[in-house]
Amino acid sequence: MLDRKNFLKNIYVSKGLLTANVAMAFIYFVILTFWFEKGNTYLYWFLIAGEVYHVWQIVMYCYTVWPRQRNLFFDPDYRPAVDVFITVAGEPVDIVEKTIKAAKVMDYENFEVHILNDGYVAKKDNWRDVESLARTLGVGCITRKVPGGAKAGNINHALKNTSKPFVAVFDVDHVPHRDFLKKTLGYFGDHRIGFVQTPQFYKNQNLNEVTHGAWEQQELFFGSICGNKDKINSVFMCGTNMVIRREALEEAGGMSESITEDFITSQYIHAKGWRSAYVPEVLAEGLAPEDMLSYYKQQFRWARGSLEVIFKYNPLFRKGLSWDQKMQYISSAGYYLSGLFVMINAVFPLVYFFTGAVPFQISTMALAVAFLPYIFLTVLTLMISSNYSFTFRAVSFSMSSFLIHSKAFLDIILGRKSGFTVTPKKGTSANFIYLVLPHIFYIAITFLGIGVAMARDGLTASLMSNISWSMFNIAVFIPFIAAALPSRKFSFALKPKYASAV
Amino acid sequence: MSYFVFSRQSLRLDESQSLWQTSFSVQRLLRIVASDVHVPFYHIILHFWQVFFGNSVPVARILSLIFFVLTIPAIYFLGKITYGKKIGALAALLVTVSPFLNWYGNEIRMYSLFVFLTVLNQYFFIKIYKNRKEGQTTWSLYALTAILGALTHYFFLFQILAQVIFYFLYRKSFEAKSFKRFAVIISVLAVILGIWFYYVISLQNIGFSRPRLQEPTTYNLFDTALQFVFGFQSDHFNSLVVALWPLGVLLTFLTLGRSSKIKPDTYYLFLSIFVPIILSFLVSITIQPLYLARYLILTVPSLYLLLGWVFSTYTPRVSSLAQVALVAVMIFMLSDESVNVNLAIKENFRLAAEVLNQKTGPRDAIIISPPFTIYPVEYYYRGPGTVTTLPAWNRFSAGGIPEFSEDKLIKETDQLKSSYDRGWLLLSYDQGYEKDIKSYFDNHFQRLEAYNLSPGITLYSYKFNYNEDPLARVK
Repeated sequence: MLDRKNFLKNIYVSKGLLTANVAMAFIYFVILTFWFEKGNTYLYWFLIAGEVYHVWQIVMYCYTVWPRQRNLFFDPDYRPAVDVFITVAGEPVDIVEKTIKAAKVMDYENFEVHILNDGYVAKKDNWRDVESLARTLGVGCITRKVPGGAKAGNINHALKNTSKPFVAVFDVDHVPHRDFLKKTLGYFGDHRIGFVQTPQFYKNQNLNEVTHGAWEQQELFFGSICGNKDKINSVFMCGTNMVIRREALEEAGGMSESITEDFITSQYIHAKGWRSAYVPEVLAEGLAPEDMLSYYKQQFRWARGSLEVIFKYNPLFRKGLSWDQKMQYISSAGYYLSGLFVMINAVFPLVYFFTGAVPFQISTMALAVAFLPYIFLTVLTLMISSNYSFTFRAVSFSMSSFLIHSKAFLDIILGRKSGFTVTPKKGTSANFIYLVLPHIFYIAITFLGIGVAMARDGLTASLMSNISWSMFNIAVFIPFIAAALPSRKFSFALKPKYASAV
Repeated sequence: MSYFVFSRQSLRLDESQSLWQTSFSVQRLLRIVASDVHVPFYHIILHFWQVFFGNSVPVARILSLIFFVLTIPAIYFLGKITYGKKIGALAALLVTVSPFLNWYGNEIRMYSLFVFLTVLNQYFFIKIYKNRKEGQTTWSLYALTAILGALTHYFFLFQILAQVIFYFLYRKSFEAKSFKRFAVIISVLAVILGIWFYYVISLQNIGFSRPRLQEPTTYNLFDTALQFVFGFQSDHFNSLVVALWPLGVLLTFLTLGRSSKIKPDTYYLFLSIFVPIILSFLVSITIQPLYLARYLILTVPSLYLLLGWVFSTYTPRVSSLAQVALVAVMIFMLSDESVNVNLAIKENFRLAAEVLNQKTGPRDAIIISPPFTIYPVEYYYRGPGTVTTLPAWNRFSAGGIPEFSEDKLIKETDQLKSSYDRGWLLLSYDQGYEKDIKSYFDNHFQRLEAYNLSPGITLYSYKFNYNEDPLARVK
């Protein structure tokens, strides 16, 4: 059985493998771009645009996980006073209670717990219950009466009403371990450290396929990606399970009041010359979205916020950030552009089925000779760098979220506004099949298209190739569709993968 | 079953060469094999096999079948020490139903021995790698299989190269003394092969009967992989299945899962597949074409083991489904391969000889082109006609097969015309001049009959002289 630290283990990835992966990505790209006779011009350029994006993501990933050393200073005796913020916006009281109780018993001398109660401004019925709970449990409760700025506004409001030099922030569903403060505050012994981030661990990951899929996506991010971003001083705040130096936050102008306040505020803090640290140890345990609707809302919020970074707060033009930081911010935000390219790639076979149009006239196997090693190496890099924790289901969830990501992109381009939606903390067993109707429609239209193409061209190599690509897409969509079915219990990894709570 | 299905097939060109080469004394056999493109271990075994058990085609094929059958438990044990019993058993099952290995398990050539020695050698190599304190016996058997393997087929050296690369990548995992031991084994191997090469070069007659190989394309790489799994199928089928290559991307992505770490053994298997294939491909497109799927048969056991490992990384449901589907498809392909008469690989020279036996008389010339295809026809032909080749070739004199030229064609055909009434032209294995010969005959003689005997083998008869009465010519 794996322990809950296993996914955080920093795995050495051979430089030879990473170099080969990048080299193969470029070879593939060059062959694809220049080797073949062009087909339909529009399809050609869409495909090239998608490949530019993919090569960029691969190069950035390989650069991120490139083996490096960073020795962070940690002073175990550094014990400054801390304000502990637990952000609440109408979540069930029993969830709030658990987190408060865990926060109160943290093994640290000098801290004060505050409930940042946004239930009133969020027009939730239970805001008074939260105040009453705080009184009962003997913790502070800061209830906002003036709305604005969503979660960031809530934190900024609390900052004005507290004064300790450090603030620890927890979402209400993230229960801190006793040693959370002990294991994070010591890093601030280095007076250049502006914030310390710890992983978000979903303790309900084995509840169903949505929680598991959501967790498996997180695992790569909080495992190899954050662990390696840390080595180039580029890790960013992730909204919860973090400690921030008040001085750094104030220099950055407080929490940026946008959908992804954490991401943008991190940029501002880095731009002011502060450093960041990442503690690769599970020090708090949270809840993954428990149903497909919650997952959609969470992903949309992250996608919208991250894409805003590219289109509104582009780090490339921010002074004070190092090139490493600029590239890391832009590549992390750029992940959410993948939806567009997944959609484009999924459409190519359909276009062929119904019109016969292709981006290239390919008569040899040169493309496969370049593409397959490139994919093998990419998968191998992902396997090793994630300590063999990245799964096909995670790929499925990432790729199948293409509509959410594309909608977020479209909203930004069209200037549509969208508010901060708190991810629901308790799932329902409702039927969310309507959320995956586009995927089901894709499957249906694929089979119809195969029939049309076969009637037009007969059984040709081009048809087989396009059938294969569409089958790839369908195989990727299937776990996602299955997860949207009502009361879908987790069926693959029935035995718990992680040891019980530390 | 394999024997009953495949042993009844016609003797093929390569098989007839094996029988011809091994019909001589060991000394002469060595000279003939050295002049060809192979190494002699299998030929020596086959020579003595025929001495003891007779030289009929089925008996000679049984020798290959024995090595094929022995490969099944051998790969089980290799799989067992590499990944465990389950993958060992799956690999053994894949070998058993493999259309490709069944084919060569019934061919009078060195390939089933080559595979068997490859598996044994890999077994001892993995054993040495896994157990740092492996005893003298294992080392000796490793050395023996390495030497015999290299004396069975030159491509075995690619396996040694893959092992050398693996050794240097994971040197720390091997015992301290291993470097010295490997160095000694490779030195002994180099000396033995050095002696053989010296002998080959001293003959100054290398590759005299070798067919001209085509320069491979990227398509051949995929076609090879296809043959290893699905055996020999029609070109149309192959082109359709090769086009399914994007499913390889899906199979790769499906390996992403909470699997245990990729063990170095897996990297070794990768190396043992890709080193031979990539190097032979690169050599073929840059120096000299030597890429043939059957020469790369040594990679098949590793491929099956690797498939077993890949399936083991899938979720249990997907894994079971994939295994059952693969085995079922392979059995289907094996059945098709055994009954389908339209496969070019089947080379039905027996049928050609049967037609000739029935149709030819003492004043008929049986003209075989290219010359090296004379062996299987000669084996079956019992008619009164004279068997000759175009270009004319005397196998028993020094020197290789003469080059083709238009002048020679005219001259040699004129000689045939002056001596025989009819010419039976048997064409196969196009060496680049088949069309020239055919069109010359069509333009200069009256064509009487034409037979498409099996894919790639055609027989035509031409009238050389209009006076059918031999006495008239005498007058």
